[in-house]
Amino acid sequence: MKPDDFTIFANISLISWGLSGIIMSILFFREVFADKKHKFWVIVAHFLAISGLISIIIFVVELWLLLDRPPMRTLGETRLWYSIFLVLVSYLVYLKWKYKALFVSGIMFGVLFLLINMLHPEALNKNLPPALQSAWFIPHVVVYMIAYALLGMSWLVAIFGLLPYFRKQWKGRETVIADNLVYIGFGFLTLGLVFGALWAKEAWGNYWTWDPKETWAMITWFAYMLYIHYRFRHNKNKITALLILFFAFILLIICWLGMQYLSVGANSVHTY
Amino acid sequence: MKKEKRPFWVFPWGYRESFAVVITVAISGFALSFILQKEVSAPTWPNNIITGVILVAAILLFHIFFPKHSFVKWLSGSYAAISSISFYLFLIILMGFIPQNSNNSLEILNGSGLSHITSSHIFLFAQIYMFLVLGLVTLRRLERFSTRNIFFFLNHFGLWLTLFAAGMGSSDIKRFTMEINKNEPSFQGINSKGESSGDLGLALQLEEFSIEHYSPKAFIINAKTGDIMSENQIFSLEKNAKGNLGEWQIAVKDFIEYGIGMGEKFHAVYDIGAAPAAYVEAKHSSGNIVEGWISCGSFRFPGNFLELSEEKLLIMAEPEAKSYLSKIKIYTKEGEVYLADLSVGRPVSINGWKIYQISYDESKGKWSEISIVELVKDPWLWLVYAGLIMLIAGAVYLIITGSRTKNSEL
Ligand code: HEM
Repeated sequence: MKPDDFTIFANISLISWGLSGIIMSILFFREVFADKKHKFWVIVAHFLAISGLISIIIFVVELWLLLDRPPMRTLGETRLWYSIFLVLVSYLVYLKWKYKALFVSGIMFGVLFLLINMLHPEALNKNLPPALQSAWFIPHVVVYMIAYALLGMSWLVAIFGLLPYFRKQWKGRETVIADNLVYIGFGFLTLGLVFGALWAKEAWGNYWTWDPKETWAMITWFAYMLYIHYRFRHNKNKITALLILFFAFILLIICWLGMQYLSVGANSVHTY
Repeated sequence: MKKEKRPFWVFPWGYRESFAVVITVAISGFALSFILQKEVSAPTWPNNIITGVILVAAILLFHIFFPKHSFVKWLSGSYAAISSISFYLFLIILMGFIPQNSNNSLEILNGSGLSHITSSHIFLFAQIYMFLVLGLVTLRRLERFSTRNIFFFLNHFGLWLTLFAAGMGSSDIKRFTMEINKNEPSFQGINSKGESSGDLGLALQLEEFSIEHYSPKAFIINAKTGDIMSENQIFSLEKNAKGNLGEWQIAVKDFIEYGIGMGEKFHAVYDIGAAPAAYVEAKHSSGNIVEGWISCGSFRFPGNFLELSEEKLLIMAEPEAKSYLSKIKIYTKEGEVYLADLSVGRPVSINGWKIYQISYDESKGKWSEISIVELVKDPWLWLVYAGLIMLIAGAVYLIITGSRTKNSEL
């Protein structure tokens, strides 16, 4: 198959997810303002979200086969995984907490990331440098992308918590979701960090060198650690907790996407 | 009823005191760096083990003799933990923005230790503070036995142990680069400062070096500046390959893996310095066709490019390495001889050393006569790994259980 042939699967996902998000947001507003329930359309939204996931998985498999290496090397490839896990997580969060606004925003961010990839297709480079040909490569990237998706959702939760707070009508439901997303996300973040260290030791003989990317990974890790400990005893002041959560994700984004714009980033051995 | 405000510095300490402690420590750290104008280096053997014993003893003494003292309660509690985590986070954020260990920094950054934070007093203090808090809370929580506390232990003691072993061990790590060849065994390496390793108890000799390349890529470059003009487009030169680069349709008519150019033509010759060459036909969208040989050349033979137009050249980039492997012979002091295959990411362990494939003579590529390896000895590594394994287990627990916050707690 040529790459042009199977981008159709990414397009299907893009459209299914987009529609699913739109249906869900319409239902959301109808419920808020008219208090109506629409079972049928909820089922359609579920169906579209799932078929989008299936379709994007086919796309990734095809891409993997075409490249003959795990499609996890370039920034665009990580964005692809991110959009998958983001939609998956927002779907699961919806199943558990029935929080429609989170579902809609999560899926829309997934669409956005996928769209960026479709509009700026990267060259299909099959090459994989020797150091990346390691058993650690896949688990390291995958757990990080899962962590980023969970923590990205927690950022949305923080925003949804902060907005009504400033309108003085906040009930605090968001912290329950936020805590769960952060605990699980932090677990994955820890795995990513540790796998990275173990991999670095096997490939370069060092488990930690304070390379700028490593420094930023550590910054992200400590920011979420701060949230966990702040929440542990100080259940009352939820707003500070949400603010920590909001800024922690900004640090995460600098680590993931912002490195190339920092002067320190130029010295990093981690490229993309 | 209004809660009465607790005066400053009266136990039990809260945020104010915790952050006052941190700020005092930070200022003393900066001051020390300014006054001493010296970097802090990790204590070397046996001072590192002495420091370690003192720290552990301090934690144990606090815990055993003053478990109920308000100071110890504070030091093992969440206020201290939050101040410690914030302090550490603050320092690494500075590291994330200020280029580290570079010489062109502002004078003020050098003086205060901000341009080399990991070897500054303030970082050392932040680390000791975290050691104490983590150590004490681990011991305190160990007293009540429950599944939850086992995982609390794995997370906190795991991190403590990792920081401890990495910190104590950093000065005991020995790391030498060694260039090995086929003619004779090499006995010594050099460290990052260029000093010789002396006797390593090992000698290494290269038996055979082999390398596999990806197909070389073609690029269109600007004839004057040399800038790549076909960015974001990839064309791999291999037999019968066809594709587009910019406005050109490229077709490979002939491909030689090892060739040498003679006049206008390249011939398949397998000799030292032979390089890949391709006969390509480039067809412009206007119908214009140019064809000819391109090759990246090598250290021994010149390459060739194709002039597409006055300002555009079609070139072959040097092929990237897919994998490389050194078959090496290891002689030990005891007179044993081992054969080993060394490749990137697959180090070989022998007599406490780990040998890594690092590089080769890149100017010669496939024809490199040397292999560059690194020998690393880290006697504390197993302790670091023990800590990391605990962190993994702790992380898996977090993933499985999630948070225990429930709706009912709101
Ligand atoms: C791997 C990183 C860490 C993880 C995953 C972690 C996780 C946790 C969790 C989940 C709790 C709540 C305990 C519970 O629910 O019973 C907690 C409490 C606590 N943590 Fe951490 N933590 C980490 C690092 C740290 C660090 C670096 C410090 C100290 C500087 C620290 C000090 C504390 C303290 C003092 C408490 C309160 C314990 C109590 O009062 O019982 N933790 N931590």
